[in-house]
Amino acid sequence: MTDFGEVIETRYILSEAQLAASQFGFSEVYYSGSPTVYSPGDVVHLPYASGETSTMQALGDAWAAYASGIGPG
Amino acid sequence: MSSTKKNSFGSFGSSGSSFGTFGSHEVPDIGEIKPITTEFSQGSVPNSIVRMDRESAWSRWRRGYEIASYVGIQHALTYPFEYRVPLPEGTLPTEGNQPLILGVVQGFFTAGKEFGVHWTGCRVGSILRFDNVTDSTGALASIASITQDDEYWYVQLSGSWSVANPLPPPLYVPNPNGDPIKPLLGEILEDRILTPGGTPVTKDTLNPATDKRYGYVQAILIDVDGPNGILKLQRTSSFEASPDNVYLTPSTKPFSVGRYFTVGTRYACTCQDFSRRSYTFMMNLDGKEKNRFPFTRPALLKYGRHEVLTDPSTGAVNNSAMTNANENRNSSLTFESIDNPGIFNDFGGRYLRNFGASRRAEGPTTFADYTAKDNQITSFSDYWSPLLDEMRYCKHIYALRFEEGILPPEPSDLPFFTEESITEWEQNLVRESSKTNDHVGTANAMRGMALMDVPPKNFQSPQLLPMMQKLLNVPTSFIRLENFRMQDKTGAFYNPSAGESPAT
Repeated sequence: MTDFGEVIETRYILSEAQLAASQFGFSEVYYSGSPTVYSPGDVVHLPYASGETSTMQALGDAWAAYASGIGPG
Repeated sequence: MSSTKKNSFGSFGSSGSSFGTFGSHEVPDIGEIKPITTEFSQGSVPNSIVRMDRESAWSRWRRGYEIASYVGIQHALTYPFEYRVPLPEGTLPTEGNQPLILGVVQGFFTAGKEFGVHWTGCRVGSILRFDNVTDSTGALASIASITQDDEYWYVQLSGSWSVANPLPPPLYVPNPNGDPIKPLLGEILEDRILTPGGTPVTKDTLNPATDKRYGYVQAILIDVDGPNGILKLQRTSSFEASPDNVYLTPSTKPFSVGRYFTVGTRYACTCQDFSRRSYTFMMNLDGKEKNRFPFTRPALLKYGRHEVLTDPSTGAVNNSAMTNANENRNSSLTFESIDNPGIFNDFGGRYLRNFGASRRAEGPTTFADYTAKDNQITSFSDYWSPLLDEMRYCKHIYALRFEEGILPPEPSDLPFFTEESITEWEQNLVRESSKTNDHVGTANAMRGMALMDVPPKNFQSPQLLPMMQKLLNVPTSFIRLENFRMQDKTGAFYNPSAGESPAT
């Protein structure tokens, strides 16, 4: 008999069948194809190495060319 | 709801099931005794509060949720793409990684609308990094210091900036023929890069030293002072991912000194709500063609801008929506003119903007809220703010955001007056979504996709090219069909311009 305020064991002991049924997160998942590249916070080509043209630079080049009347190559 | 009859002024605006149609409205049946619900000084717009409720950001927000949760994002119409930014003529590509923009164009079947599909573009965030911005000595443009007033932050970027060495393009583009171009105005900037070359933090990223989240702040870029290296960002509509992992707006703190900016996710949509235009519909999905020449009532002509697409070799106007993947067109922009009665029924509603922190109303939108050069838009200044006014997210964009799990903050302009209860208002939206889904699912299978091609083949149609320009934020002449690579279901990229097809 426990008295009020005492710490008692509350964890429910699962049966074998329940444990087997709860293995969802450990089961093997089958899928095919790749997930869509579509998530905010995605990063493209990270990082650009020195000497490469970054998207920032490419956009700048495009607008600078446009301001000077030069079109895309 | 009480019985209503159609306004005798005629059904300008489409009478589709979308609430976002400007202009159409119902008036109370005056056959019964009712409280006066009209207002003075509202012209021929009775019950304007009801109309305002319907046009509110809250309605878009809520309707986006309905679309995302009930109708669902139709993944058959999800078109992920990779855009290889064209280099200017005479520039050779460098070794290694080439500049790319990643994004997705998502189609939304739409009842009773011309072409049957609205296309919404999403450009993924973080594609532009300020650790790739350098001054003439090669110093990186981190956040050096911040000052603020009631409405704005003024961010000094590190580096030596002067008239001779201003901030580099695309922040500040010197223009031999006039004022400098500032294409990044209107972009969302976020201080998510802690170290050069580092992965941007997310709202969940923990600082291992303190075991707390880094958090970040985002705000809209309002202006660029190139010669002094100063960015002006809107504080009143800012957004903070707090260390408690919640979003706060407006942000409780400024950007963190020492970090680098990156850009946020960008959206654009072809729908008339986002574009503030109401297309003239000559047919609808049921196949009940209205069979009439599109026209705009003279009394409804407004100032606005519209694009004309032409064949580059012959100069002939080419407004077709079905085209092949190799046909680039020229776009010329007619702006600050009376709208084009043959194409657009209406350029959209004018609405009052939110109050700024200074309690000064921003005033109604003007259609001079952009700059243009040689008939091409070079910058927009219709800024996004999550409260009432924004580079106004439509329900499709809200639906994408719900689908992504970025629950946008609930706008504060909850409808405050309706003739039914707010519960009924919401239930109506659910019913409407359900009905639309059933209707469009069948009708679209019959003819929707027969009216317009799918990305990227429709990117140069008059409906999509302006949207793609807004989305990619490159000059329209740099939007080339041959530079799009589409991703198929296996994750592989294919080049429609070279006749390649997705995996079967």
